[in-house]
Amino acid sequence: MRSKIDKILLIILLIAFLVSIYLIFQWVPQIKASNPAEQIAQRIFYFHVPSAWLGFMAFFVVFCGSVAYLVTRDRKYELISVASAEIGVLFISLVLITGPIWAKPVWGIWWTWDVRLTSSLILWLIYVAFLMLRRYLPDGSKRANLSAVVGIIGFIDVPIVYYSIRWWETQHPKAVMASSEGSLAAPMFFAFMFSLATFTLLYVYLIRKRYQLLALEDTINKQFKEMEIL
Amino acid sequence: MMSTAFSILKKDLRMEFRSKESILAMWIFSLLIFVIFNFTFEVSRLVMLEIAPGLLWVAFVFSGMFGLNQSFSMEKENGNLRAMALMPVDGGQIYVGKFLSVTIIMLMFEALIFPIFIIFYDLQLSLGMFMLIPVLLAGTIGFTSLGTILSAVAVHTRNQQILLSLLLWPLVSPIIIWSVTLTGMVLSGEMTEACYPLLVRVGAFDVIFFTLSYMLFDFILED
Amino acid sequence: MSVPALEVSGVSKDFGRIIALRDVTFSVQPGEFVSILGRNGAGKTTLLNIISGVSRPSEGTVQLFGTNPSDRENKAKLAVISHEMFLYGNLTALENLEYYSRIYSVPDAQERIETVLKDVELTHRRFDLVATYSRGMTQRLTIARALLHEPSLLLLDEPFTGLDQHAIGMLITLLKRQKEMGRTILLTTHDLHTATALSDRYLVISKHKIVKDGLIVDTNPDKIRQAFFSSEVEEGVS
Repeated sequence: MRSKIDKILLIILLIAFLVSIYLIFQWVPQIKASNPAEQIAQRIFYFHVPSAWLGFMAFFVVFCGSVAYLVTRDRKYELISVASAEIGVLFISLVLITGPIWAKPVWGIWWTWDVRLTSSLILWLIYVAFLMLRRYLPDGSKRANLSAVVGIIGFIDVPIVYYSIRWWETQHPKAVMASSEGSLAAPMFFAFMFSLATFTLLYVYLIRKRYQLLALEDTINKQFKEMEIL
Repeated sequence: MMSTAFSILKKDLRMEFRSKESILAMWIFSLLIFVIFNFTFEVSRLVMLEIAPGLLWVAFVFSGMFGLNQSFSMEKENGNLRAMALMPVDGGQIYVGKFLSVTIIMLMFEALIFPIFIIFYDLQLSLGMFMLIPVLLAGTIGFTSLGTILSAVAVHTRNQQILLSLLLWPLVSPIIIWSVTLTGMVLSGEMTEACYPLLVRVGAFDVIFFTLSYMLFDFILED
Repeated sequence: MSVPALEVSGVSKDFGRIIALRDVTFSVQPGEFVSILGRNGAGKTTLLNIISGVSRPSEGTVQLFGTNPSDRENKAKLAVISHEMFLYGNLTALENLEYYSRIYSVPDAQERIETVLKDVELTHRRFDLVATYSRGMTQRLTIARALLHEPSLLLLDEPFTGLDQHAIGMLITLLKRQKEMGRTILLTTHDLHTATALSDRYLVISKHKIVKDGLIVDTNPDKIRQAFFSSEVEEGVS
């Protein structure tokens, strides 16, 4: 049953990805920009922004999983948190990679300490630290407790980080920011929403798979233990 | 109720002051930070003054890290972490005790570092500098309230010091950003109306993370 | 019968890939001295952690004097002696004991501290830093610290490992006295001799389960040995 759902999900995901790629690279009209490189680079937006949103979502799931774990002490929630943290780091990594690729032709620089960039980087650092912590601890209920505590504190900190950097940025000379795009044209909006839906599906698929894998590891390890005992 | 927290505070301070060498070493280390920065950034006095608040906080935060690492490694040494889990007290009380001792030690370092800073950067003492007291207090409490619980987390790993840095730096960045800005405002004599909302913000951060850590500390002691 | 000092029913500790205890059930009456025998890694320490409220069982319940072990009142009735010292090297013996007496709100602390120091023959060194103590002295102080708040239930986790002869003798005397005072004592050990010499009853833990529960008086030491060693052998096979 479970594997059947996964298979269907995977097929939908593949089709959705092909469709989004078509929408993004063929269907969406060219934006008006003086720089031809910018016209191409702009399309990265359809991957960049959904990754960022899904990254946030993933960390919200880490938070919920951590709270649920501390309330129930159910291993299940620990595994969901870990799986989601890993995928969140993956998505934010994508954000941090696609961002500079876009920025170089458009702004002329790879990186600037702008609020979005800086807070994404700090966000990434927070959850990399979360995963590192788990690497340094032996498996067990102690590790589950400690990482749940960090999962909660980390997420509460996220808006504060964003807020503080936005504040800090206004104190500093502005980066060479292009004027904001304004509202999206209808086809762009559609392509964006489609891409967002595809990424959401990707998240769902990945977290299911990762969770299953983690649970399977537990089962196998337990069976080995069981064999030792008998 | 609070007697537990005070017992822990008293014990920590007593132990900390007994190892005077490490306090001295830490103080000299902060001196070194000023010296090294002076050589690595060869800039005019004017620019130096602009980066001085950041420099000051780098020195503060390093001494704070030292205190945080110390605070729980001394509990780990003879299995006292488990002794804490066995205590017939609320985990929050233990947190408060540890938080107070780390905060007091960090404030003490700040008091030792600041005069050196004044001398090195030839700052004019003025009455307005009294405004630094609430600024340093708020910034320090923010740093230690988050630092204390993360230190208690990191102490369970083999690589305590690195892990504490990894966990604490990104999480505490808002506090550092705000504290540096506020310190800059006070030092340049621009302590205007605009500073108060910022100070309130730091205070709000302190309250949020102190409360959160107080509530979560029981889970850290539990196995 | 009165409320048991300790009631462990159906306790399992099983987290993720770790299995530490399986369906452990037993109860201990007040004043009983029970030895828990088993190899290292059999789950003895986990069991003591669960009884002392430090660790939560994944299944089953533990009742200490009829209530939850993580209750504060229960934690105050409890003392643990293990290979960990629970002392600060940078404090003197007196300061260590003063600290713990405040945490455990010991009444008439000064008097009580004097008594326990005398019991472990450390009165003359009470103003010295624990870091300067010999191993045996530190261990004696550990015992003093544990008895400071007059616990009703003593949990001893391999307390004899690494003790010198003098400290072993002292601990045995003190334990006997505690028993006479009606305190309940739970001792984990892999040493059969101390178990039979001191306790009324024994439990054998093997492969995360209790495989034997018997009284020392009506059981031939050889039989215990058999139960103990047979479990050892089985474990050796796998």
